Amino acid sequence: MSENTWKEPEMPIHRNLDDDMDLLRSRLLDMFDLVDEQVAGALNALLEKNDELAEEVRQRDDEVDALELEVDRNAERILALYQPVASELRFLIVAVKVNTDLERIGDHCKNIAKKTMDIREHSGALAVTRFDDMGDAARKMLRDVQDAFTNRDRRLAERVMRQDSAVDRIHKENFKALIALGRENPESIESVAHAISVSKAIERISDHAKNVAQSVIFLVEAVDVRHPGVQGE
Amino acid sequence: MTESPDTSADSLPAAKLEARDLHFWYGTTHALKGITLSMKPNLVTAFIGPSGCGKSTLLRCFNRMNELIPDTQWEGDLLLDREDIRRADPIMLRRRVGMVFQKPNPFPKSIEENIAWGARINGYKGSMPDLVERCLRQAALWDEVKDRLKDNAYGLSGGQQQRLCIARALAAEPDVLLMDEPASALDPLATGKLEETIIELKDSYTIVIVTHNMQQASRISDETAFFYLGELVEFNDTEVIFTRPENKRTEDYITGRFG
Repeated sequence: MSENTWKEPEMPIHRNLDDDMDLLRSRLLDMFDLVDEQVAGALNALLEKNDELAEEVRQRDDEVDALELEVDRNAERILALYQPVASELRFLIVAVKVNTDLERIGDHCKNIAKKTMDIREHSGALAVTRFDDMGDAARKMLRDVQDAFTNRDRRLAERVMRQDSAVDRIHKENFKALIALGRENPESIESVAHAISVSKAIERISDHAKNVAQSVIFLVEAVDVRHPGVQGE
Repeated sequence: MTESPDTSADSLPAAKLEARDLHFWYGTTHALKGITLSMKPNLVTAFIGPSGCGKSTLLRCFNRMNELIPDTQWEGDLLLDREDIRRADPIMLRRRVGMVFQKPNPFPKSIEENIAWGARINGYKGSMPDLVERCLRQAALWDEVKDRLKDNAYGLSGGQQQRLCIARALAAEPDVLLMDEPASALDPLATGKLEETIIELKDSYTIVIVTHNMQQASRISDETAFFYLGELVEFNDTEVIFTRPENKRTEDYITGRFG
């Protein structure tokens, strides 16, 4: 069909769907912001040994959970009322999946906040880890993937996916260092165990950010980049 | 049309019905502008697009129903089983390419006569009760009417009348069924029953359906063609059309951004 025969509609059709999708998008961005604050709060509480902040992060997890429910309800409502297709259907699928990933990141923040005091009982556990670099990297992934989602930026989403390996590497280094510390100082074993679970939690945060990046690529390109080894046609 | 269509077997994919560079005019109105597409056997192909896009005109080209409308003309090639439709006897063609319309239009006769009447005129020699039962069963209507075959067809519900029209079309033993918005006058339950019938029929027939109902196209068709202003914008597997259409116009239409 030649371009010059195409006529844009004179009066754009106003759809209730547009308003509801805008609301869903806006609440999902609120979820990104809230979870980003939780990641920052959990890491700062850990590194600055701030119990008050850790407690605040634990309390705010209820807000994350409530927002998760609201986003899911909105998505379900849109699916039921409008039966969207094509890019709008992809947006809804992605919204639900991203929402779940963000809520899981929120859970990891809560778990990190719970461990803050336990790790400090043996101060050496914090000293042998690179939680600061690891936390910065994971949080950068989360912020970048929010930008990628907002701007539908495939390249940025791909960059986020690549950043995941750096976080994995630091987690392995932390693990080795903490095991060595536990061997040398058996009295530190409880703090070491908590520190390993914190390292694992940060590593999982970056995994979820990577999942979100994959969802962004699906949203923008209609291509599923997960599990390339088992993709069908 | 200036040349005979190329009907050599190796130049064509398996197609039951084909249009090649088809143009159609109502008077001076150029209603179809170079349509080329083919419909595979035993599939349901849906034609979608806003009113006036040419989808019903194209549907009626395939059994030359448009020729009954004064001051129309067409150019290009139309093929049924790779044979030129232009050379076919229109009456014979319409037996092979049956049609079901938007509004159920049974004859003002009994249920069984609706099926038997045409068959008798066509010189059907077999058992008429068997034919009536077979066609009603294929149209998923038998169980609902088997005890009242002598009743007037007008006493049936709209959905039943539409399935009777399908049964009547099947009595001519067609290869192809063309359906022009067959469910637009039916309630959701009757629509569901009709759609189930269409899906069952595709084992034996090639079906082309014009519909304004996007969900209906996505539920029952294997391939979907989107038309706009007399042109074919996109033709692909239905799943592709409704998940990742290649053309922005297709996406704008199926998502209801314009109509």
